[in-house]
Formats: sequence, structure tokens, C-alpha cells
Amino acid sequence: MSDNHLAFIFPAFASDYSNHPGQKIPGFAAHFQSMLQIAASQVDPSLAGFTFSGNTFLDDELRTQYLTYTYSCAASSLLRKSGIIPIMNAGYSMGIYATLFDAGSVSFETGLELIRLAYRSLMKAIGSRSFGMGSLIGLSGRDIHHLIDQADLQIEITNQNAAHSFVVSGYHHDIMKLMELAKVEGALHTRDLQVSIPYHSSYLKEGAMHFAREISHLEVKHPGNQIISLIDQTFLTNPEIIRQELINNLFYALNWFRTKQVMLERHVSVFVECGPSKGLVKNSKFVDGDFLFYALGSLPLNPGEVIPNNDNQGAVRS
Amino acid sequence: MATLTESIKNEVKEIVYSFFAEECEVDIAQINDNTSIIKDLDGDSLMFLELIEIFKKKYNLDIELKVIGKYAVKHPVATIGQLIDMQLLIIEHENRLLDLEH
Repeated sequence: MSDNHLAFIFPAFASDYSNHPGQKIPGFAAHFQSMLQIAASQVDPSLAGFTFSGNTFLDDELRTQYLTYTYSCAASSLLRKSGIIPIMNAGYSMGIYATLFDAGSVSFETGLELIRLAYRSLMKAIGSRSFGMGSLIGLSGRDIHHLIDQADLQIEITNQNAAHSFVVSGYHHDIMKLMELAKVEGALHTRDLQVSIPYHSSYLKEGAMHFAREISHLEVKHPGNQIISLIDQTFLTNPEIIRQELINNLFYALNWFRTKQVMLERHVSVFVECGPSKGLVKNSKFVDGDFLFYALGSLPLNPGEVIPNNDNQGAVRS
Repeated sequence: MATLTESIKNEVKEIVYSFFAEECEVDIAQINDNTSIIKDLDGDSLMFLELIEIFKKKYNLDIELKVIGKYAVKHPVATIGQLIDMQLLIIEHENRLLDLEH
């Protein structure tokens, strides 16, 4: 491990808990439950009723955020206890809160409060307007911009996952229209992400400003390792910059594709997705480079075993 | 426009079978041409995209993804066998894939 440059990546939302990878980590279930009790007592008592195979709350955006955050924090803290320490972190979208917890910039409780305040601020700002997000695979950014302009849709591209993989945010009706147009244009896949908040779009600027005022009293510390911004790929080096990133993360577009490239340029060679699914692992195949990308369950827990070679079972090599 | 030899056909089939066995963590012996990519293997569109990229690099193909997308709308793929057939058409016709419609 000492020769490898390891990064923890934190996903935004769980979409499925079947075969969740944390179950392969010794002690995960108990650790997750203890953190879940803290979350339940602090932000929402009903979270205590969560189960991986039954009561998953997957149809509830806010609870899914709390649960994904709790899962990610439980996983990364166990990895650290096992001696698996990253040199760099990145938070995909709302994964920023777990990133900050892992880097020691915020406490677990503060992370929960940030999620609660962000959601409340954004919901208040969007009011009764019907927003959404969608994903498109197979078209270029130029193709998507062209479709948006041509049909005069109120939509923004808010993340690029790969050369031909994008996320868009905007009015839900227009998102659905774009999905139809994109299929005709030749998109290989389109999906309504079924969220009500158009994250990372300018539609959330007002809500983000409200959030900024709400979090002014919360403690943010210097990070214990490098944290890279998905907005501009700079490093979040002090509490003031982190606080601004928390605000900007709500209404600025991200670029996950470029972020991975910069991490590789900074010699990251092993990535670990610290979350309940493998979405970012799958996505990693569309970036060229010599690296390994692990889901939690496939990561060797003995630090000395994390060796970048082609024999690692379960890891993705680009 | 490439000529499809038996060697290429066999190679494509082998790559597709191996790819899904590894990606979906199933024994390759359990996969056949009638295997449903979604129902039996829990496959997804990212896997389809990855396979296209593999073949684009391997055979140095000149084809835009949206050409494949437009073709796939009219000729949806459900099984491994259908996917292999489409990959062969892509290798054979590249950006002129849509000419097959006329």
C-alpha cells in the first residue's frame, strides 16, 4: 500500500442495497448500526428502522442521502482502522459530506446537519416548481447542448461522467422531453434520475445562498488529506475554501470525468468507492490510465495486499 | 468496410462471452446465444458502451456512438446472440451502419 497512491471516492445516492459491498468488511454491520443510531437520534428517528433488504427508504431523497452518508462514513472509518489510508478524497455530488467527514474536516454529526440544511434550503427555494435530473449515454456534450437549444429547454448539463456520459438538471417536463429527443438523436441510454432537486444547476443559486447563511455556525476543520473539487479540480486546503465548496457544490456544474483525469495526473493509482453500490467503479472504465478501482467488497483489507496488478479479483483495471 | 472472416466472428463471440462472464460474475459455461443480457445477467447500458469501446479499439473502427444508438432503437438487442450479431454489423459497416436501413 505504501507504494500505491490511494484515493477514497464517495458516491452521492444509493440506488440499490442488494449485495451491498460493505457486508464483506468484518465489523461493518455493527459499526454501521451504531452510526445509524446516531443519525436516527439526531435527524430522523425513522432511520432506525432501515434494513438492507426491506425498509430501504430508496423512494425518499433525504433519507437516502442520510443513509448513503452513514454507510459511506462507516465504511471509510473501518478502512482507516484497518490501516488503509487515502492520500486523496473526492466526493461525487452529495458525496461531498462523507468526503469531509473522512478527511476529518467535519464530525459525523456536522455532516448530517449539512445534509439536512442543504435539503431544507433547496426545497424551500424551489417551492412548488417541478424539477428533475436525467442521465444520457452515447451523445457528446455538443449534441446535448444542440438538442437543448433547438427545443428551447430549461435544462443544464450538470456533470460529465465520461466522454459520452452526462447528467442534466432542470425542469422535469423538459428533462423528459430531452430524453425523447436524445433517443431519436442516437443516445444509447437515457434515464430519469427521479429526484426532485436539480442539483448542481443555477436553478439552485438562491437556495445555496440560504444554505450559506445556515451553515455559518458549523465547525469546519483543516482536512487531514487532500480533497479535490469536482467543480474545478482544485484542492480544498482550508476551512474557508471547504465552506465555499459546500455552497458552490449545490449550484455549480461538476465534471467527474475531468476530476478522475486530474487525480491520475496526481499519481493516484488505486481508487476505492466507499459506498453501498458499484456505480463509480463501473463508470471508471471510461477513463484511460494505469489504475485500479475497487468496490468495498473486493478490496483486500490487509493494506499490503493492495497491489496494482492484473490479478486482483474484483478490481477494475482501466 | 471490413470483411468478416470466420476468425473475426469467433473472436468477437469469444470476447463477448468472456466480457459478460467477468462483468456479471457468472461462469462462462452458463452463457449461450439465447442468454438474456438484462434478465439473466443483470447487464446494463454501460456494459454495452464498454463493449463498443473495446471493439472500436481492437478493430480501429470509425463509428460514432450515435450511429449505433440510432440503429439500436430500430433493432433492440436483448440476448447475447443478438448483441454479437450487432457487433459484427458494426465491425463490418462502421459509420455506414444506417445504410442497412435503406
